Amino acid sequence: MMRRRISTCITLLACVCVLWGGSIVQAQVVADQPAAILMFPKILVDTSAGQSERVDTLIRISNVSNDRPITLHCFYVNTNGHCRSQSARICDPYTVGAENPCDPFDPCVPGWQETNFVVNITARQPVAWLASQGSTLCDQSANPDVPCFPLGDSKSGFEGQDNLDSRVPPVPENPFIGYLKCIGVDKNEVPDDRNDLIGVTEIITATDNAMPDLNVYDARAFNAVGITAIPERNDGDRTLVIGGGGCLGGERADLPCEEDDDCPGGECQVAEYNGCPNILILDHFFEGANDPVSGDIVNTKLTLVPCSEDFERQVPVTSPIQFLVFNEFEQRFSTSRIITCFREFRLIDIDLSNEVRSIFSAAVNGTLTGQTRMRGVIGDNPRFGYTWVAVAEEFRTKDDPMDEPTGSAAFNVHFHGSRPQSDFIHLP
Amino acid sequence: MKGSTSGMVRYWSIAIASVLALTAGPSVADVTIERGSSIIVFPKVIFDSGAVTGKQPVDTIIQITNTSNSIVFAHCNYINALPVDPRFPPSETNPPRWQEVNFDIFLTKQQPTHWVVSSGRTQFPGDDVCYGDGNMVIERDCNGAGFDPGLIPLTTDPFAGELRCVEVDSSGAPINGNHLKGEATIVAQANQPAVGLVKTEISKYNALGILGLNTDLNSNNSDPVLCLGGGVRPGCRNGAEYNGCPDEVFLNHFAEGADNPVVTEFGDPSEVFTELTLVPCTQDLERQIRPKVTVQFLITNEFEDLFSASITVDCWGNFLLSEVAFSIFDEATLGTRFAQTRMTAPPEQPGFIGVAEEYHYAPFSNAPEESPVTRAALNLFGRGQRANGDIVTIQQAQ
Repeated sequence: MMRRRISTCITLLACVCVLWGGSIVQAQVVADQPAAILMFPKILVDTSAGQSERVDTLIRISNVSNDRPITLHCFYVNTNGHCRSQSARICDPYTVGAENPCDPFDPCVPGWQETNFVVNITARQPVAWLASQGSTLCDQSANPDVPCFPLGDSKSGFEGQDNLDSRVPPVPENPFIGYLKCIGVDKNEVPDDRNDLIGVTEIITATDNAMPDLNVYDARAFNAVGITAIPERNDGDRTLVIGGGGCLGGERADLPCEEDDDCPGGECQVAEYNGCPNILILDHFFEGANDPVSGDIVNTKLTLVPCSEDFERQVPVTSPIQFLVFNEFEQRFSTSRIITCFREFRLIDIDLSNEVRSIFSAAVNGTLTGQTRMRGVIGDNPRFGYTWVAVAEEFRTKDDPMDEPTGSAAFNVHFHGSRPQSDFIHLP
Repeated sequence: MKGSTSGMVRYWSIAIASVLALTAGPSVADVTIERGSSIIVFPKVIFDSGAVTGKQPVDTIIQITNTSNSIVFAHCNYINALPVDPRFPPSETNPPRWQEVNFDIFLTKQQPTHWVVSSGRTQFPGDDVCYGDGNMVIERDCNGAGFDPGLIPLTTDPFAGELRCVEVDSSGAPINGNHLKGEATIVAQANQPAVGLVKTEISKYNALGILGLNTDLNSNNSDPVLCLGGGVRPGCRNGAEYNGCPDEVFLNHFAEGADNPVVTEFGDPSEVFTELTLVPCTQDLERQIRPKVTVQFLITNEFEDLFSASITVDCWGNFLLSEVAFSIFDEATLGTRFAQTRMTAPPEQPGFIGVAEEYHYAPFSNAPEESPVTRAALNLFGRGQRANGDIVTIQQAQ
């Protein structure tokens, strides 16, 4: 009888442990909770004068801690392409023909250049900056219209906290396309395990109207994607381990572990942050369909950035992405693209097609909306994890391009599952 | 032997209760906008043709997707929170209706679906599909094409309120599947008659998802009383069946009437206003009891100065921040362009969730009387779980 009771207790304890452990590994990246790392997957700037459309991005970050300041170590990644023989000429490496500004036979080389900076945010403080302008202390700012950091030499906040030593550079080029990642660190720039950061990105375009000197504005906003830290796991080194928690190499490669002894011939990689999603799920209108309310034509842009980064060695992540598309008849298509570092494309550009023949088009699918599931394929570089995060933007256009511009909206993509493999951010 | 059997039952009862209590406790995620869930809430669903109110037309497109490889059923409730006479603001003599209309949908594996709130969706297999001839798109109108998820009712005109869908099994009993996700697209006209501008303006947000706990064990007891967070309490004998609503809700926003620095950069004047839509997590759709919650606002400007205010949300709250308290959200009062607002509810009251929408007036409008030139919806951030939990009571099967 006693043995049966002990056996029952052991079984129950095992159940409890499994369920308890399960609740930890289920957590993933978040766009609706404070986090320790913020990812802004898309930053756009093109404010050059004389264009019919100008665009800038407003970045807003808050520290939700009631009493503790936080320091951000942020990285802009410039993904502009440049002509090989004229490096000052910016180009889009994915366009060809007349739209490519490079000379004939002069290829457009994709770029991946990071610029990093530090921002100090006091307790409960909201801060913001324009990507085109950057930011500095208000005491040092020459332009009162540009957002700046208000707590400096002349005024301080709770318990003397301030924004001293904060300076955000403008994005390195204009036009600019790229992304921003900010990591919560302590005063010594050692990665911290506090989940106190929230962020919002707002992309605003100004389009010339038919009337002289009149701009028509359009705003779209999305939440920064956050990676939450697992308390008391951060070892303070320059390699951030995101998700996973398995053996790196050895006989038990990729299997769960708690310490190195669990990984004969390998090393146990303990997760410091919750993992990035195994699958991204985008619910979207098919390309070229009419909006059932306005009658405008709908198209969607998707922006993908990797969860892993090697800022130390300046090596971009390259991975095939598998796309699985379902329409409202439950019919399924699939395609794939290899992506390096960053990619922004219209859905119909994913399969290099057009709105008549693409598997993302309404004309092929027949229905108005669809679900697309995306998965980064695991590669063989152990410094990366090959998961991705994304944001989507929806645009409305008229049949006649001479009509007034119509609106746009941005939204966060859904996540599903996590992986046994870790992602890594290698800091310089 | 009898004693031994009852002892075993007791041990297993204690053990199961322990497992449930422990697994309910450490559920780190609360309401989510990014994962398949068992309850999805669209806090802001609006339709107004303008026929009654004379306002600019606005409508909402609902998208819901089954993220699993099995058929999924859901029980949905529209809750109309407009006052009896929608031309006038709610008051004692013009109370909100809090009128629910419910319907059921089903989705085959991985099936996405959609409908327009003003027109619902009929069950008609002959809807036109979009198609092309290989050279050009012949038909772009395919609203309604695809497997119909069920009969979706039309709403009243106007309609303003929420849509809440609960995953159920084929018999209508709630289950913890976490298979539903959704988006809402608000489509409006931005009219500026002074300059002849007519523009379609859209804003989009993700439905708020409430995760069912222990999907492998399905700890849901399948009764119509859905226990969101919290422990064992009346109506929730096994504790939480779903994650709880957040303890704190955060909004990062413009001060009311502040200029947008991008518009300023491009040489135009502008004003930004933020509209907040909040719904209590607790609902009793069986007994038609209107939930009320007092929302406390703690506002921090860029100087870290603190301000506070409060408002009572009766069933459904939809208001500009400038309407919360006398000018406290105004740029002139806050003194800075941006602010962070932390929202909480008293522990004995329901929790709440919501969505925000920014209205940008620039550069030739008379804000906020005219329609905004552009708008952008934002999901709010949440932290922690309500200790006392919430209860959603759906209709009993008949």
